[in-house]
Amino acid sequence: MGDSTTAGAPSEQQLAALVDTLAADPDRRHELMDLLREDHAFYDQRSTTAISRMRGWILLALARFGLPETALVFVLEELSTGVDAYLVAAAARALRSHPAPAAAFAPFVMRALTNVRNRDEPVSFDSYGDYAARDTGTSAVRELLATLAWLGPHAAGVLSEVEALRTLRGGLFSRTLRLDVDRAVAAIRDADRASVPAADSCCGVSDNIGTSSWVRDSRRDSRSIEQAVFEDHAGAAVSFQEFFRGHASIVVFFYTRCDNPLKCSLTITKLARVQKLLATRGLDDRVHTAAITYDPGFDLPERLRRYGQDRGVRLDAGHRMLRTTDGLEALRRHFNLGVNFIESLVNRHRIEAYILDAEGRVARSFERIAWDEQQLVDHAVQVMNEERDATAAHAPKSGCCHRAVSSAGR
Amino acid sequence: MKVEIEVNNSTDPKAQFVTWTPCPCRIRVTDPTGVTASTVNLRIAATAAAAGGEVVFRAGTSGAFSATLTVQVPTSGSTVPFFAAGRFGRASTRSGDATIQARMGTTSVGTADVMVRIRKNANALTSDERDRFVAAFAQLNNQGAGRFSDFRLMHTDESSPQAHFAAGFLPWHRAYLLDLERELQAIDPSVALPYWRFDQPAPKLFNRDFFGVSDSLGAVQFSAGNPLRFWTTDGVQGINRRPFFNTSTGRPGVRTEAQTLALGGGGNLYRLFRNLEGNPHGTAHTSFGGSISSIGTAARDPLFFLLHCNVDRLWAKWQRQFGRANPAQASAYDSNPDNPVGHNLADSMWPWNGIVGGDRPSTAPGGALAASSAVSAPGPQPRVQDCVDYQGSVSAAARLGFDYDDVPSA
Amino acid sequence: MATKRKAAKRPAAARKAKRPATRSIRQATSLATSSRQDVASRLSALAEMPMTGEDDAHLRAVLAVVVNTSEPIAVRLAALQTLQTASFSSAAFPAFRGDYIAALRTLTQDPDPELRQRVLGFLAREKDGFAQKKLLEGLRDPAKALVPPEKALQLLSYDVHAEAYPIARAIVSKPPNPTARREALRLLAADAKAAPMFERLLRDKDETREIRQISAAALQATKPDTLQKHAREILLDPSEQDEIQATCLTALTQFGNTEAVAGDTTLMKRIERLRGKASSNVKRSARQFLTKYGR
Repeated sequence: MGDSTTAGAPSEQQLAALVDTLAADPDRRHELMDLLREDHAFYDQRSTTAISRMRGWILLALARFGLPETALVFVLEELSTGVDAYLVAAAARALRSHPAPAAAFAPFVMRALTNVRNRDEPVSFDSYGDYAARDTGTSAVRELLATLAWLGPHAAGVLSEVEALRTLRGGLFSRTLRLDVDRAVAAIRDADRASVPAADSCCGVSDNIGTSSWVRDSRRDSRSIEQAVFEDHAGAAVSFQEFFRGHASIVVFFYTRCDNPLKCSLTITKLARVQKLLATRGLDDRVHTAAITYDPGFDLPERLRRYGQDRGVRLDAGHRMLRTTDGLEALRRHFNLGVNFIESLVNRHRIEAYILDAEGRVARSFERIAWDEQQLVDHAVQVMNEERDATAAHAPKSGCCHRAVSSAGR
Repeated sequence: MKVEIEVNNSTDPKAQFVTWTPCPCRIRVTDPTGVTASTVNLRIAATAAAAGGEVVFRAGTSGAFSATLTVQVPTSGSTVPFFAAGRFGRASTRSGDATIQARMGTTSVGTADVMVRIRKNANALTSDERDRFVAAFAQLNNQGAGRFSDFRLMHTDESSPQAHFAAGFLPWHRAYLLDLERELQAIDPSVALPYWRFDQPAPKLFNRDFFGVSDSLGAVQFSAGNPLRFWTTDGVQGINRRPFFNTSTGRPGVRTEAQTLALGGGGNLYRLFRNLEGNPHGTAHTSFGGSISSIGTAARDPLFFLLHCNVDRLWAKWQRQFGRANPAQASAYDSNPDNPVGHNLADSMWPWNGIVGGDRPSTAPGGALAASSAVSAPGPQPRVQDCVDYQGSVSAAARLGFDYDDVPSA
Repeated sequence: MATKRKAAKRPAAARKAKRPATRSIRQATSLATSSRQDVASRLSALAEMPMTGEDDAHLRAVLAVVVNTSEPIAVRLAALQTLQTASFSSAAFPAFRGDYIAALRTLTQDPDPELRQRVLGFLAREKDGFAQKKLLEGLRDPAKALVPPEKALQLLSYDVHAEAYPIARAIVSKPPNPTARREALRLLAADAKAAPMFERLLRDKDETREIRQISAAALQATKPDTLQKHAREILLDPSEQDEIQATCLTALTQFGNTEAVAGDTTLMKRIERLRGKASSNVKRSARQFLTKYGR
């Protein structure tokens, strides 16, 4: 099937060929991770559906040779917030190529089942860009159920939810899928497999997957962005320096035209809960919050305000929804934003939340995997308290699945 | 002497609206100057502008209504209750076109301007009623930046099991329409949601000054002064609606009203009646190409709400005809043990309940159901059962504050 | 002695109403899918098919009619509508949806243009990548077009994240027909960067009324202050088209900066004069505007 081509950019078929080449070369396979960055040039000016094809193909390539640890976060991201059947199916298949099943994977698989069961469709992995025009023998839900079967006893923690799928009303599961559910249940209950030790130590899933921390001295300074100017939900102009300097801040990114409710809508809803947690702890004056739109041309103040208010967000001098009126590129660089565009519209973005220190520098990032409100607040408090204890160094968190702390700054 | 008349037990201008259903009123003396007796006889009557609404009265919770009512009112200032209702068939056409007047002898001692606010056939609205409704609706949409975006987000593929495929289809949509109508009334209190009587031609509805005329492409065309030409959803302006019938002279191939009302079978059972979800409801949706013909995009077309208003009217008419207003009555609802969550009588309904995750969608747009100054039901987080007895015929407190032009009070 | 109560009489309309055909799903499916039945009977069966139960066998049987090109097109279209109706009401539909989408993809190449259009419409509303690719291919290479270009653009606009912007701009510059240009502009209105183009189009008196009105709506969405400025100038210009003035009045009435507009005495005087103008659209819009501003 033909693919889309944007002027001057590599075609989708060229990307697919590159992916196959990289995947086949053990010395270059790691380069596939770079292709999964949202801001990669390959995704510029692509449609969201094209990006799904491209990312799905990369995940499938990773699956052919065993999923490396560094790719795990991308797979779990897709399971946690993906709504495209092909991409979720590819992620489910990729997970099965991980060296060992782990109990921590099971909630992600169940989450994906909930997300995608109303959007399931047959998928084809035969060649790049294939769309199923008949029953292909697999679909997103079938791949997820197969992954549950692969997890076997490691999915014991979700057994009751899996069993509940059998009796799911609303006709959501056909006879074929009910057989798949039975197979998964049988695998989970399999006494023979239950004796196999669970690989639940490091490199199952760390509690902090997607989270990164930077010690004070290693943080990129904010001078390049200090003059960036925003307009807030009330139409007031404020510079980066004016709003973010002098106190810790929690920053999330979103846009009102996001059509994945598990991303932006949920992010802003959770921001409202974060604000309430801060208020409960008497910290709402000491930790500011900001929601910055990726789409400043469309998300005018009235749209920002309505979007926030409808999700319970508090809006005042210390808690704002912002659009960039000057300095968008500087903003992208400062936060290393995981976003790309087709014209002025976002075509793909990751979930991302940040904690800035009192100098506006990124101290913590929470990427891809849905962050926990309490966790975010706790980290913000830690950063806030840095000023009080300036001599204590915050050692980077150890363990895998974290981005390595760069001594050169971010 | 002066008296104060409270409608819906309130002097709030937003409460001065009555329907066919009896609404509680009160009268009290606020200034007894010129009266020495401890009580005074007052005659309560209503005047109506030409083509205005007519109001009738009775003293208690039962008995016939009449054009006048005599009450004995203490001059101490204590209130005396009575009931008012619109005379069936004589709805208002604008706010305040009916006046409740209290007379002592021939002297008027107090008045209250009211409106008999009724949901009407969209094809029969006056041009003024039409223009006010359209203006309010366009304001609610506000080019995609208004509160309407929440209503659009309440009706998607992801959320469809909350509102379809099971017994709660009718109550859920009743709550949905009520929420929208109250938001419209916050913009213009004189507005009531009209219905599209889809089993009859509606040339005045499919008109450039109202809900538009579709060109051959299905792009809806409006007159230059119609604010619906600014209608925007999902970031895209315009409405796509391609009728498969002649909107000037014809109608969709749906069941007639009489056929629909007979769906309940010999026992007039809700469990059979709710098959109207297929035909005429689903058939009305799919008598067009365009947004309204798919569940996930249907709410992008404002006609969706008039379609559903007619579905609700059919339910209301069926309830009235066969005495099916009591949720505790087995024939009035389908309390199937297999009903999914959100479809049982005692279940609260998403999104108003704010419950997310699990069997519910991931976000709950819009918050609580809008309040009314005229009635207290169904409450901010309605249950299914709160949306059955809409006229309060079983329990007066259950009255939802709307009525249809051709469905009298029970 | 107990009084024998008379059974309540059902209202006349209900007594007279003919009960809808209470065929079972099996009967209706059998009738609808049988090529031995006449078309009228099959259409009737499809229209009245009960949408109950969780078994999707009847949906699959009807789908088989839709995909069968040897069936009469009227029956195929009615069968498609039946399945679309089922998507709103049948508890069996969610389990069936994936296979439905897969089957519809094959129908994008169907010989019947109406069927193709309806199928592409459904898929486009689902933001189906397959349908988007086909529509874009057809716009880039008319020999591969499955629907007219204006319809392809309209369907692509269901997804603001579709890759239609470059081709839409090309069509604006070199339109195959006026309707295609119009739909291309409507699609481009989703891109905030296109605002300067819409400003130019709005003020171009040689443009059609429709294009100028789309431009006004586009600017209102992304640059409301700019639209307000232009709307004012258009209203003050006696040589401007009535329809455009009415549109601008509506924009100011509904969405204008109330304070700024209320304080603009020159504008107010002009609109008061317009209230007496002959064109009914302008008069009506002027009246509504002045009512809002208490005049």
